[in-house]
Amino acid sequence: MSFARIMALASRIIHQVLRDRRTLALIFLVPLAVMSVLYLVLTSTSSVHTLALVRPTGTNSDLVNTLIDKLLPSKDKLKTIDITASQVDATLKNGNVDAAIIFPADFAQQVFTGQHPAVQIKLEGSDPNVASAMSDVANGLTHQLGVALAALKTQLGAGGQGGQTPPAINATIPFTVSDPQYLHGGAQYTFNDSIAPVFIGIFSFFFVFLLTSVAFLRERSQGTIERVMVSPLTRAELVIGYIFGFALFALVQSLLILLFVVFALRVHYSGNLALVFLVSALLTVGSVNLGIFLSTFAQNEFQIIQFIPLVFGVQVFLSGVFWPVAQLPDWLRPISYILPLTYANDALRGVMLKSDGIGDIAGQLTALLVFALAMVVLSALTMRRQIA
Amino acid sequence: MTEARPDTQAEQQERGSGNGEPMVVIEKLSKQFGKLRAIDTLNMTINAGETYGLIGPNGSGKTTLIRMMVGLLRPSGGTIRIMGQRMPSAKVSPHLGYMTQLSALYLDLTARENMQFFCNIYGLRGKEQSRRIQEMLERVELADRIDDVVGKYSGGMKQRLSLACSLVHSPRLALLDEPTVGVDPELRRSFWDYFAQLNKEGVTIIVSTHHLDEASRCTRLGLMRSGLLLAQDTPQELLRQSGKDNMEDAFLHFASRQEVLK
Repeated sequence: MSFARIMALASRIIHQVLRDRRTLALIFLVPLAVMSVLYLVLTSTSSVHTLALVRPTGTNSDLVNTLIDKLLPSKDKLKTIDITASQVDATLKNGNVDAAIIFPADFAQQVFTGQHPAVQIKLEGSDPNVASAMSDVANGLTHQLGVALAALKTQLGAGGQGGQTPPAINATIPFTVSDPQYLHGGAQYTFNDSIAPVFIGIFSFFFVFLLTSVAFLRERSQGTIERVMVSPLTRAELVIGYIFGFALFALVQSLLILLFVVFALRVHYSGNLALVFLVSALLTVGSVNLGIFLSTFAQNEFQIIQFIPLVFGVQVFLSGVFWPVAQLPDWLRPISYILPLTYANDALRGVMLKSDGIGDIAGQLTALLVFALAMVVLSALTMRRQIA
Repeated sequence: MTEARPDTQAEQQERGSGNGEPMVVIEKLSKQFGKLRAIDTLNMTINAGETYGLIGPNGSGKTTLIRMMVGLLRPSGGTIRIMGQRMPSAKVSPHLGYMTQLSALYLDLTARENMQFFCNIYGLRGKEQSRRIQEMLERVELADRIDDVVGKYSGGMKQRLSLACSLVHSPRLALLDEPTVGVDPELRRSFWDYFAQLNKEGVTIIVSTHHLDEASRCTRLGLMRSGLLLAQDTPQELLRQSGKDNMEDAFLHFASRQEVLK
């Protein structure tokens, strides 16, 4: 094993990448552009939904309406508008509101005479995420109202009489819920904060795979691999040289993404840079060797591109980028657990959001190491095929 | 950790023809690709300091033979010994120079960067490296294009640079697979003059070609067809044995004889 030969190869790769402006842009600018777009989409998209209320109008309705107003969350969390029952469908349809709570006009009267009025919740429903959120809001609101009214009725003594006017209202909810406390992060954490860490892993894995497999394919199609294999450079030195060459770009890329998301996008970061690099380096070893391995089965650059949906489509959906692995169906989860990005995402989130130390992510690091070694073995096994 | 380069006369004596063993000894070599017998029980000896020409039509097994000699292909049977070592051998590889039919260059690098890379993996560094690169590029008449990206080179220029890359580390045995394809006649002549000069310096050259007019420039020839060695001798002797006055007729004579060297 000659370190000088390894460095000769690594420096050649570095030269080749540096010469190619497009590749440089791909490695360093594209991730930043993608992160920025994602950031804008996630932060500028309004998450404040609108709820329409068809309020009760009959006897004693003032009491109920005052209670509703007390129970409604603040305006920056939920917008509300009052409409009439006949406007519900049209308002939902034209997109002005996401859901409506329809109280019968004589709601208060029914409640105080001991009947059980029916409250109807209507959801716009075309976006399941919004529908689900609004369903929770509307249900929560009506249940709280129910609890408050029950308490009020007790306060008024045994069962309200129809004609009796309720006392001046000091109706309140009989308990308070204080603002949530956070074990990690805080109320100011957004979806961005949980998604930014994983992109460091995704980008370094993706670009290193792409660059290595194309570089290796070219070695084969240009015939340089034969010259190299005839020379004193051994197969091990070849693989290590490739790892060193591309690891440099992967690490610089990770640093750049990290600085960008922390300082430009103001994503919260409370981690240890060395651990981020360690995860990125382990991923790079796996990804270089996956690239070498898969390039054996490609005859040209287009066939390399054909591997991308297989390698990345699956990983992005199953590795917990958008949906936590624990929420996946049972039969899909085993697939997640063989994907390197699952462990990288976990480790990067742990380090960046929860300030995990090396002990906390030892399991994930081990899994990444196992994946890297498995890929080294595969690429070494197929190296002979590369030249034959 | 630069590789020692045993280029001393004593070692050359010991490893080359000095101790009686020729540079290359091939015994009962065969190579099977599925049903195709690419090389058939071939015996061949190549002496130190000669230019040995592998002559034969396309598909006669010249490239397969060279690829087995450099260790890229495993023989199906038989042995190849170079400098007394059974191939493939890590001891021998620093002393081999190999030129493939593909130009085998990094098209996104300059000529200088290509040559620097190949020098570096052979452990040739520093001033000696710069001197050799300059010398080789002058030899193949590319010195004025040294900092041009190779992707912009013409086919012939790539071929010339490829030869320079194969020889820059001063190999003891150069295996050149059709080195003169796409090279114009004038430069082709200068290549052959250079091969003769390398022979004088003790370098052994194995060169494959289907240009029969180049055959006369070789010290000895091996005539190949369908993986068989039809005849092996000096050009003059082959002409004499066949009773012909040019190599083309001589080749056809041996090819029709159906008698092979085994």
